[in-house]
Amino acid sequence: MSTQAVLETPATGEAPPIPVRAAEFEDPVLEARSLVKRYGDLEAVAGLDLSIQPGEVYCLLGPNGAGKTTTIHLFLGFIEPSAGRVRVSGFDVARNALDARRRLAYVPEQVMLYRNLSGLENLQYFAALGGRETLSSERLTDILVDVGLPLPAVGRRVGEYSKGMRQKVGIAIAVAKDAEALLLDEPTSGLDPKASREFSELIETLRGRGVAVLMATHDLFRAKESGTRIGIMRHGRLVTELSTDEIGHADLERIYLDHMQE
Amino acid sequence: MTLRTVLRNEWRLLRADRALGLVLGVFALLFAYALANGMAWVDFQEETLAAAREGNAERVESLETELQRIADGGRPSSPFRDPRSPSVLGGAAGAHTAVLEPGPLTALAVGQSDLLPYYYDVSIQTNESSFLQNGEIENPLNLLVGRFDLAFVVVYLLPLLILALSFNVLSGEREQGTLALTLSQPVSARGVVSAKLAFRAILVMGLALGVSLLGVLFSGGFGSPGRVALWCAAVAAYALFWFTLAAWVNGLGRSSAWNATVLVGAWLLLVVVLPAGVNITAGLLHPLPSRVEMITAQREASNEAVNQRSELLARYLEDHPELAGGVAADEANRAALAWAATDAVNRRLEEVTGVYDERLAAQRTLARRYRFLSPALLAQEALLDAAGTGDARFARFRSQVREFAERWRTFFVPAILAGEQMTADVLPGVPAFRFVDEQMREVSARAAIPLAALGGLLALAGAGAVVRLRRVTGPGS
Repeated sequence: MSTQAVLETPATGEAPPIPVRAAEFEDPVLEARSLVKRYGDLEAVAGLDLSIQPGEVYCLLGPNGAGKTTTIHLFLGFIEPSAGRVRVSGFDVARNALDARRRLAYVPEQVMLYRNLSGLENLQYFAALGGRETLSSERLTDILVDVGLPLPAVGRRVGEYSKGMRQKVGIAIAVAKDAEALLLDEPTSGLDPKASREFSELIETLRGRGVAVLMATHDLFRAKESGTRIGIMRHGRLVTELSTDEIGHADLERIYLDHMQE
Repeated sequence: MTLRTVLRNEWRLLRADRALGLVLGVFALLFAYALANGMAWVDFQEETLAAAREGNAERVESLETELQRIADGGRPSSPFRDPRSPSVLGGAAGAHTAVLEPGPLTALAVGQSDLLPYYYDVSIQTNESSFLQNGEIENPLNLLVGRFDLAFVVVYLLPLLILALSFNVLSGEREQGTLALTLSQPVSARGVVSAKLAFRAILVMGLALGVSLLGVLFSGGFGSPGRVALWCAAVAAYALFWFTLAAWVNGLGRSSAWNATVLVGAWLLLVVVLPAGVNITAGLLHPLPSRVEMITAQREASNEAVNQRSELLARYLEDHPELAGGVAADEANRAALAWAATDAVNRRLEEVTGVYDERLAAQRTLARRYRFLSPALLAQEALLDAAGTGDARFARFRSQVREFAERWRTFFVPAILAGEQMTADVLPGVPAFRFVDEQMREVSARAAIPLAALGGLLALAGAGAVVRLRRVTGPGS
């Protein structure tokens, strides 16, 4: 079964499928309004306004310390905003963190798993925590294989996995959760070109299912390939927003560098 | 749902981690050894008591035979041990050994039963110094450190097992990086930590309570279900306190190394330093009179008594005019004179031991007041009470033996003073000791205090844990 097939096949009798949405008619799944996060005198996020519709892939570009990861952590409710509001599918994260997280999936830059357990056991655990405890082992194995994990590796200890393989388990956890929104923090960092390409295909598939994706990345190429919109952050502010349909790779690089030099 | 999911995952992690299995295995062996040790002590105690009971029966039988033989015209086997003399029949030759049966759960908690006498030879010579002596010769090191029994393992070592399994219950997740993925799911840190600790609690308490119940089964302690329930409640409350403390410390958001240091420090303070501090303080504030002082007093009293026997008898009869009829305070009535001397020694010793008892009581009052500082002291008190090897049961035994000794004297002393001759017919009427054990409601009422205090400490640690864990919203908090 292909990745596309797995993701589009409802988990019959195991979990209700999430309906595909038309991006342009829906309320935003991910929404930040006048979002501020301060650490002492430092403003990590300074008045961010962001709105991501179902089926959109929003790429946050910016140098280290621009506030990308902080923004993702604010959406996850890992940290509290100093001011402003963050919503996930209409749920205020500060007030209803668990409801918000029920609708979110998250793939961190370094997917860290239980080293003594197999990829499948890790997936079973995190999928169950995410509310998908009824998914069968066969179904979860299919998901792992379809995100690119070799079948013989499914039952092996994660301690023997490469970073790319762990990243794939992280993505499988997100896929199994069948969430309305996906938060990706430098997901292709350290992946080889083939794995990165497969990853882009996966994002495209999820986008097609109406999942709203927010991806923080340094990878301009991947942002242009996978994203529908790109926001460039600097010093905690969104300095510009672009539609990937309207610019080429070279334009993106030029615009990005221009903003970094200001 | 979180609970079941985390429990299953923890079980998988436990199976995959040999070190954890090894730690649990070592503790299972320690528990088994402690139980075997406790049961060996009970066997020894029961053998001793069986010998004592046998001795009682043999003495009565031998005296009866001798008295019968004399009644049939025979002569006493020794002029100094003529059983017709009430001072011989009521003295060492006819002494009755009063015994305290092992507590229902002694196999689980030897407590002070190796330190405090559990039998006394009662005769007309019995006095307060008899209660300060232990007839058994025991390895002093054993007496100093106590028996390695289940109560010892629960109070001292169980917290270490709990801390070894729980010190990094949250910090470990943070350090290995799994906390980010975990908390990105619709679960709270509090829920995950509670579930992880619940898994460990099932293991640890299953081990502690399982071995305890095995011990109860082997030693027939199920005849006292109330005591078994008290024991289980004390073990559970004490173990939960340490789990909750570990949750609290994990909620502070520091590293696993920091958590381990703080928790081991807490163990050292609460289990070792504070109890020792309370004991030392009690000893310093209310020092017991030395045994040398008591022995000297006893000798002085004995010498004085021997020198002034006639005078002492006259004084005794003045104090007990109801016994004075027909008693001559002269050298001819040697038995009466000897009793007067014995009584004088007893009175002098009562003064000395009165000071000892007073100070011991003051020490215990102080220790009871400050036991609330240490969950280990509270747990130990509740466990020993449940087992029937605490202070209270021994004090009750001593008190009943004192009463019995008084009954013994009341039976023989008038005959001594009257110069009566005893026959075999009096033997069935000679007092016999039977310990009346405390009622379960007395034990429960007493044990409720340390248990409630332990519950209070548990609630305090629980409140701290809840407050701190509520603040853990992400991998960085």
